[in-house]
Amino acid sequence: MEPKLIEMRNIMKRRRTKSIGPLNLSIPEGYIIALVGPNGSGKTTILNMIMQTVIPDEGEISWRGNVYSKGLPLKLRQQIGYVPEQLNNEEKHMTVDGAAAFRSLWYDNWDGYYFDELLSKFGVPRGTKLYKMSKGERRKFEIAAALAPRPKLLLLDEPSSGLDPFAWKLMIDQLRDCLKDGNTTIVLSTHIVEEIRRLADYLILVHHGKFLGMVEKDGLLDNWKECWVTGDGSMIGELPGIVSWRQETAATTSFITTECLEVETILQSAGVLIHQTRSLELDEVLNLWIQGNKPAGVQE
Amino acid sequence: MRIPIQINEHSPEPLYHQIETQLRSLIISGQIQEGTLLPSIRELANSLNCSVITIRRVYQDLENEGLLRTRQGTGTFVAGVGEQMREKFKRDTVVEALTTAVETGLSLHLSEDELKTIFMEIVQQKYNQPKERK
Repeated sequence: MEPKLIEMRNIMKRRRTKSIGPLNLSIPEGYIIALVGPNGSGKTTILNMIMQTVIPDEGEISWRGNVYSKGLPLKLRQQIGYVPEQLNNEEKHMTVDGAAAFRSLWYDNWDGYYFDELLSKFGVPRGTKLYKMSKGERRKFEIAAALAPRPKLLLLDEPSSGLDPFAWKLMIDQLRDCLKDGNTTIVLSTHIVEEIRRLADYLILVHHGKFLGMVEKDGLLDNWKECWVTGDGSMIGELPGIVSWRQETAATTSFITTECLEVETILQSAGVLIHQTRSLELDEVLNLWIQGNKPAGVQE
Repeated sequence: MRIPIQINEHSPEPLYHQIETQLRSLIISGQIQEGTLLPSIRELANSLNCSVITIRRVYQDLENEGLLRTRQGTGTFVAGVGEQMREKFKRDTVVEALTTAVETGLSLHLSEDELKTIFMEIVQQKYNQPKERK
């Protein structure tokens, strides 16, 4: 198995109205991991705990096996790029160039040429003060600034909110670009199904402050399918991973399974023909997962 | 280079298998020639919108079959395909297609003779077509 970048062990964070945890998870290095889950499920707090800007009440987070209880060392922080969902206010009276100069002070490896290139690709006006920008323009600036130091870990909190479709495509391309060397890791929280489809290697589902597990995206789509077969429904209930089934006509039955690969093998050896299969849409999959149907091969 | 692979999301066949089968036939049929440098795992994953885990598995499998070769630091190349292998591949492909056809016949309760008749009809029709045109 590949090296772990971050490991969370028994993380708990209690707040007045809700609490998060216990969380146990390993994030493998060199992959794109999508954090998905309903609003208020704890995704932003989890990202903040990774950066140690929110300190958990219990448990520990290790970086390549090391625990930094007194805060992350500067060298490590310089390798993290972060695009927050709630944009900060401190820099709002600065221009793009001013804010970039300010941020570059913290990053030894700030690549000014790359930043300029990104700004012109995104078409961000440079002399404008940040608070005068539209939401999308500000977001573009934040993405460019997060990429400029060529970070080893990118934490993106709903990065595409407010982006127009052209900028969105550009963002996808840029994120893919920075993975080329193979040792950059991206953790992004998102509600955009298409973003998950195009980017994610792994998917983590967060619900009510708990991880429902981490799963390989392609394996998920391979296994969650709707199938139509000849015959009545009598044998369907005994197949693995059946979520629901329905007698469509006297001779055909349809069903949804979370273990299509295995179901197919079983049906084939029983001589039952699958007429048609349909991949579930990712949002259907997530919905069924939240309702308690576990994906095959999930890491919990 | 861009590799012409088509993915059918709604096929019951798993993603890695679809990619593997198509890449294998591109190599064996000679459409991708010996010595060609393939895209990196991440690049191919991006162009097919699938995960690197899937592509790594495909490259690994084809490497084990001797069709690909990975040189540390440079990338993955297409290895040489022997004549014997090409012949075997042709045969395997046809056997697989015919097996599927026979299975369809079985599931529709066709008798052996009915199936043979249909098969011979199709052979007649397809193989004699060009001559008729002359």
